[in-house]
Amino acid sequence: DSTAGTPTDCAPCPCPGGTSCAVVPRTNEVVCTNCPTGTTGKKCELCDDGYFGDPMGHNGPPRPCRPCKCSDNIDTNAVGNCDRETGECLKCIFNTDGFFCDRCKDGFYGNALAANPADKCKACSCSPFGTVDRQTNCNQVTGQCPCLPHVTNRDCSACEPGFFNLQSGQGCKRCNCSEIGSTN
Amino acid sequence: TKPDVSPLPPGSHLLFAQTGKIEHIPLDSYHLKKSEAKAVLHIPDKVVIAVAYDCVDKMVYWTEITGPSINKASLQGGDPIPIIRSELESPEGIAVDHLGRTMFWTDSMRDVIEVASLDGSQRRILFNTDLINPRAIVTDPVNGYLYWADWNRDAPKIEASYMDGTSRRVLVKDNLMLPNGLTYDPQTSQLCWADAGTLKVECMTPSLGNRRKVLDGVQYPFGITSYGRNLYYTDWKRDAVIAANSYAGKETDEFHPQKQSRLYGITTAYAQCPAGQNYCSVN
Repeated sequence: DSTAGTPTDCAPCPCPGGTSCAVVPRTNEVVCTNCPTGTTGKKCELCDDGYFGDPMGHNGPPRPCRPCKCSDNIDTNAVGNCDRETGECLKCIFNTDGFFCDRCKDGFYGNALAANPADKCKACSCSPFGTVDRQTNCNQVTGQCPCLPHVTNRDCSACEPGFFNLQSGQGCKRCNCSEIGSTN
Repeated sequence: TKPDVSPLPPGSHLLFAQTGKIEHIPLDSYHLKKSEAKAVLHIPDKVVIAVAYDCVDKMVYWTEITGPSINKASLQGGDPIPIIRSELESPEGIAVDHLGRTMFWTDSMRDVIEVASLDGSQRRILFNTDLINPRAIVTDPVNGYLYWADWNRDAPKIEASYMDGTSRRVLVKDNLMLPNGLTYDPQTSQLCWADAGTLKVECMTPSLGNRRKVLDGVQYPFGITSYGRNLYYTDWKRDAVIAANSYAGKETDEFHPQKQSRLYGITTAYAQCPAGQNYCSVN
């Protein structure tokens, strides 16, 4: 209040780097009006959307607001890509998942960190007949589905040589062909 | 301390969201009264995305993605009132039907369009198919139409339906990239959209399909609203509200809030409700 006529009429803004502030008329609350890039809040204590950190150190040591770190697996046109405090990625794309969108989501395999989206995460596409408990998940890296006995291929889609009846859903059975009557 | 609404002076205004607040700029016919722009509402711990206005009760409605939630507050003063707080993930668009007393919203993670009464009751899902990144949504209350945009990078589109969800159809799908913003002007029957991929603002009369470019070389539009011959859009690269004359096809003014950060949704708070009656009340 600059009209009270005392030396302390004007107090410095409680904002980082001496940036500007304003008083909300009805509540007399002081609000910083020019928080540094990536920060927001009444006292610049929060990160803007698209940034994460804890600039005032409310939970541990102060961490300045930095852009979301999501392994290039977020869409820049999306909003709410990461948690504003922890940085946990919330909108992973290209079939990725994880805190930093750094692994393939369930049911997909490959390298979430590959440069080209087409090389990132591919669907497991496990064969329902050849896979244990008809699982849809596979090894995150190799893509190997968990195959039933004597079932082969990455996606458990074929019987081993000398075995048949994948469709049974219980693994493949030995052919038991007569050595004399068979061609091989 | 409770966030309080600073009452708006009479007249028409623009309302727009900037992370933790909703600001307004008074309109003097088509001019932005920039010196009188100020925050209507501070909610610093929330990221406000979409705003809509109910000209009957003079309330602002908004979505925020931090809670997430849908809320409203009287522009004549008062505290925010939460309306919807459950079964929301990323509500990024909201529209009010001031005649039917309903609101519509999009959710880009649940991939739905929902409707509810303005108090949040009678909520139901209107659409849950063929939606990838639905964002902007607008109403044409007099004719009973709903329009929305989906910025799905593989197949962006602008769609229309009746407000009851019937007669859904794709209005525009060619030469679109990131249609972030959408607005319908009841006086001119123009549907206009702002595209952050093609970097254009385009308009059409939905019943005629006469699509045309209004602005090009825009930088990164997010929200857009119309007021007569003028369009006003928010821009992520310029951190500004930009005014343009849609007839002349050129920018006329811009407003930079003091704080430089992203601006999101924008809407026009009309001094009076546009003329017209509820399509349901006819006959």
